[in-house]
Amino acid sequence: MSVLLEMRNITKQFGPNVAVNDVSMTIDEGEIVGLLGDNGAGKSTLVRIMSGVTAATSGDYVWRGEKVAKPTRAATEELGVETIFQDSALVDKLTISRNIFMGRELTNSLGLMRTKKMDEISSMILDSVVTIEGIRSPRQLVGSLSGGQKQAVAIARAVHFKRTLLILDEPTSALAVRATEALLRYLEQLRSEGVCSVLVTHNLHHAFRVCDRHVVMNHGRKILDVKREDTSVEELTAAVVEGSEGVERFRAGRSLSADL
Amino acid sequence: MATIEDALQSSSPPSQRASRRSSLQAWYADRRGRGAVEVTALFVLLQVGCVVFALKFPKSFAYLDKANIGVMSQSIPWLAMLAIGSGIVMMVGELDLSIAMAMGFCEMVFVTWYSHGHSAWVSAAVAILLGMAIALINAIIINVTKIASFIATLGMASFWWGAQQWYVGGNGVAPRIPSEKVSKSLETVFRASLWHGFRGQMIWLVVVTALVAVVVHRHRIGNHILAVGGNENAARSISINPKRVRIVAFLMLGALVGLAAVLKGVQEKTLIPGTGVGYELEAITAAVIGGTALRGGKGSVVGAVLGVGFLKTFQAISLLTQLDAFYYKVYVGIMILAFAIINQFFERRAK
Repeated sequence: MSVLLEMRNITKQFGPNVAVNDVSMTIDEGEIVGLLGDNGAGKSTLVRIMSGVTAATSGDYVWRGEKVAKPTRAATEELGVETIFQDSALVDKLTISRNIFMGRELTNSLGLMRTKKMDEISSMILDSVVTIEGIRSPRQLVGSLSGGQKQAVAIARAVHFKRTLLILDEPTSALAVRATEALLRYLEQLRSEGVCSVLVTHNLHHAFRVCDRHVVMNHGRKILDVKREDTSVEELTAAVVEGSEGVERFRAGRSLSADL
Repeated sequence: MATIEDALQSSSPPSQRASRRSSLQAWYADRRGRGAVEVTALFVLLQVGCVVFALKFPKSFAYLDKANIGVMSQSIPWLAMLAIGSGIVMMVGELDLSIAMAMGFCEMVFVTWYSHGHSAWVSAAVAILLGMAIALINAIIINVTKIASFIATLGMASFWWGAQQWYVGGNGVAPRIPSEKVSKSLETVFRASLWHGFRGQMIWLVVVTALVAVVVHRHRIGNHILAVGGNENAARSISINPKRVRIVAFLMLGALVGLAAVLKGVQEKTLIPGTGVGYELEAITAAVIGGTALRGGKGSVVGAVLGVGFLKTFQAISLLTQLDAFYYKVYVGIMILAFAIINQFFERRAK
């Protein structure tokens, strides 16, 4: 399977603090990768570098085998990377339609927006791409939506613009049980359509259900990179909670509970 | 995109039966909570009230007199320019407290150029470009240093106050337009006497308001301004460059400040350097009355203009009824609070 994105020896320093320390990871075509780790493990920084919002101190960004010299947000946007950040990627004070077309407005030659067309297409996206309950009109303000509806709108936007890599930063943290189910099923559906995803989450059960591969970070380093069939929720838990020691201990066959 | 267009045609949604009534509802749904519709309704009520009173008591309340309309049609346009500009900058999430002093400086330059024999057009163009340059400096300071805009522009306000004094040479002799120099072009372009006291400035007001409203509410850049002001991270993650958008917003403010300087400069008999402290707050007040959110992401161009209309109508009322000047300040204070509450109420309802 060919590699979509390779992050090679990525390091990010904030002054004396090393947030990400020499991490290399790949995302293969047609894969959902789980990026796991405790708070402060460096997941969010890595995701920001991946999406081009933050520049790495050193390391390479390789897209389909070609090195991207300056992976700025504009460059990654061009490649088809879309990130749905945990603090939501939508503007509450604007309508759904304006959010969906934010930065990609349909305009006439003078740059004036074709609002009617944008509304029509938005309705269609909302009806067909993701079925979201309780949305009356594309002119509704995003601020009036629930957490799950917002996530759905953000995902609908990413899908409509045919993104190739979807990065979701803690997407399930704000969701109710049913919305979470829908989201996870949705990621699987996207995978079958060839859209790759990176799922950043605390919830190991969610990750284990949909991800093909798991990358665990601890104190800025990558400590585990395994395929789903080679690991278990228990091993991932040990890695997240105890770091590389936890993995060793787990692999040595000693269960956590016996130790405590 | 072809697939979507096909799908749209083939699916023919039930909204095709859209009646006139539902399109009106949609029109309102698009605008309510933005502030302008509610303010327009209140503004119309206020004007109707004033007109009724003026017709009933023409002697004691000369609201419809040529003199009063003349005063209002001169004092509203330039402040409206400042209010629109302030509103745009507030929509992008910033505040500019230096606009009054910047306008004063532009006004000095405009009047000086004009009295040195340049045409009204050239002098006006210089003033507008100067206003844009001043605003650009503010935007660059905010972009580069990342200090809060109201601190940065507070500093610049002081700077431009001093610059006004320096420009007139420190001896307090202010430039003025000698009456023998008032040319035909200045007269017709900027302050033509129209019907019943209405002045040429009103035409500028209407045209510029319409133009800026289209740019802010219909053009792509307007969507970017609201996006950056509403949630900068979201805008950035979709590859909108907030710094560039901020610069555009400030340039629009600068052009409007320059135009305000011209519209004010043409009617001023004598310019006194350093006057005009507080215009920036009146402009912000007007924008808030018109539904602009101080924290950004929401606002209306027409609302800001009507906000100025409110302020100046109350000023006219207190003048005509010979109330003491401080009552006007009391009105302004009450109106800021009242409209902040009203706008919040409608915004909640819109959700």
